[in-house]
Amino acid sequence: MTAAPPVRRAWGLAAAVPVLFAAIAMLQVRIDAETRSIARQPEKLVLSSGPMLKKMSLGYDSLLADIYWTRAVQYYGGKLQDLSRDFRLLPGLLDITTTLDPHLIVAYRFGAIFLSEPPPVGAGRPDLATELVKRGMAANPDDWHLAADLGFLYYWHLKDYANASEAYLEASKNPKAPGMMKIMAARIAQKGGDLDTSIMIWAQYFKSSKDPQVRKTAQDHIEGLQAVKDERAIDALSEKYRSRFGRDPASTKDLREAGMIPGIPVDPSGVPYAIGPDGKSRLGPHSTVRVEVPPKLSNEK
Amino acid sequence: MSTTVASMERSFPRAVSGVVAVNTFREAVRDRILYNLIFFALVMIGAAILVGQISIGIERLVIVNLGLSAISIFGLIMAIFIGVSLVSKEIEKRTLYSLLAKPIRRWEFLVGRYGGLLLTLLVNTSLMTLGLAGALFYVSRHFERGDASILFAVYFILLQLALVTALALFFSCFSTPVLSTLYTVGIYVVGIFATDIRDFGQVTKNPAMQVMTRVIYYLLPNFHNFNIISAASHGEAIPFSLIWQNTLYAALYVVVILIAASAVFSGRDLK
Repeated sequence: MTAAPPVRRAWGLAAAVPVLFAAIAMLQVRIDAETRSIARQPEKLVLSSGPMLKKMSLGYDSLLADIYWTRAVQYYGGKLQDLSRDFRLLPGLLDITTTLDPHLIVAYRFGAIFLSEPPPVGAGRPDLATELVKRGMAANPDDWHLAADLGFLYYWHLKDYANASEAYLEASKNPKAPGMMKIMAARIAQKGGDLDTSIMIWAQYFKSSKDPQVRKTAQDHIEGLQAVKDERAIDALSEKYRSRFGRDPASTKDLREAGMIPGIPVDPSGVPYAIGPDGKSRLGPHSTVRVEVPPKLSNEK
Repeated sequence: MSTTVASMERSFPRAVSGVVAVNTFREAVRDRILYNLIFFALVMIGAAILVGQISIGIERLVIVNLGLSAISIFGLIMAIFIGVSLVSKEIEKRTLYSLLAKPIRRWEFLVGRYGGLLLTLLVNTSLMTLGLAGALFYVSRHFERGDASILFAVYFILLQLALVTALALFFSCFSTPVLSTLYTVGIYVVGIFATDIRDFGQVTKNPAMQVMTRVIYYLLPNFHNFNIISAASHGEAIPFSLIWQNTLYAALYVVVILIAASAVFSGRDLK
């Protein structure tokens, strides 16, 4: 038997490599299927001490902080798609990230959103979010955004208007902060959680972030609050209509025909408001506005 | 090694180390040491494209942190692994004997080898810094005033590499490459924790231990001094006093180590 010429042998080997890689890939698919059936290990942060990780990073702590922040973002994003919506590792990941790099402002700001938003969008832990932001303020006294974020957390999630006002006042002391901070502090102290103040807070939140997702959320809230404000105005007019005609208006068209409004009022998504059988105004069936009214506002007269 | 040493010695005695340095640099280029730049470029391109997709708000930070960390890590690997073979390779290949037969002193040879590796590291670091600047511009589309801190961070990394190279060269004068690597890595790691060693002494409340840890603290090269990556990534201003103090610290330490290395190498029996 004669040996194959070197060129043919080389071609044979070159052709074998992709075949072998295809076999490896197929094998990996099978292994994945096999391991999926094995019970999942409970989620756990193997290294949970930020200071220890900082020491172990051998000076590359800021790079490790970036890695942990990315991990926190991925964890949060993954949990949003996960039906369990269990964010138990999130506080630990944020703690490690901000210990490794106490100046990573983005981790405090977005971390506070992840922690404070009610489920299913977030962990529903505004208490932990305020702790995180306070730590950020201590490490970054020159950054007014964090004080404003703290004010927002107190205002929107905790309904603690005294502390919210104080936090906005703290933010206003920074020369780089917009003059609006002082006005917001005064207004919250005076009027607590009324609709206009809430719209103003969300508008400020919208302005202070460049992230499209955060701005979209703020915009949605502003639109929702604006819709509540409009509905209350329509309800007041319906009340007057009732006393004048002895019946509820069937739609906003009745109010217009009675000369009480110049045109058909529409919500921020451009859909006309409807009036229900109870005579109360509501969003039209095709409206895309999302109304989430906090308890104090829903009781407000 | 080039044979122009003798002629250089006649015309300008101290230029001998320079000739050795240039040849060490050429040797490094011939050994394809600068190929690591390709890997660096791939890392930077990958980070610039990927980070925006998988994280929030840290695109610029990651480029700076990753770039500076990569410059530091690649530099350290080169400084240690090439540094420990600077002398042993010459002995192994028996080129050192023909070299020392020429009018060249042993310390001149050492300083030349050291300078050559430093030149290699300088070229490598400079090219990586250019790559980092390119990636940064790709991500942010502009440079900021705070980006100047990145250059200071690179300078501090170079100072750190100068110190590590000197240590590697020192150990290679009396030990095998494997042991020299271990010693250099060991001193580097302990040097990072120098402040912790000093603080440990304070915690014990034992006066003798306190004195001992304090002595160790001042004897060890404090590599923590040179780490301003985090500050640079946040665009913080680096005080001028820190720049000159670190420069002087590294220069004095390198001189001490090179004197020690020359003393050991001069007294070594090469037969």
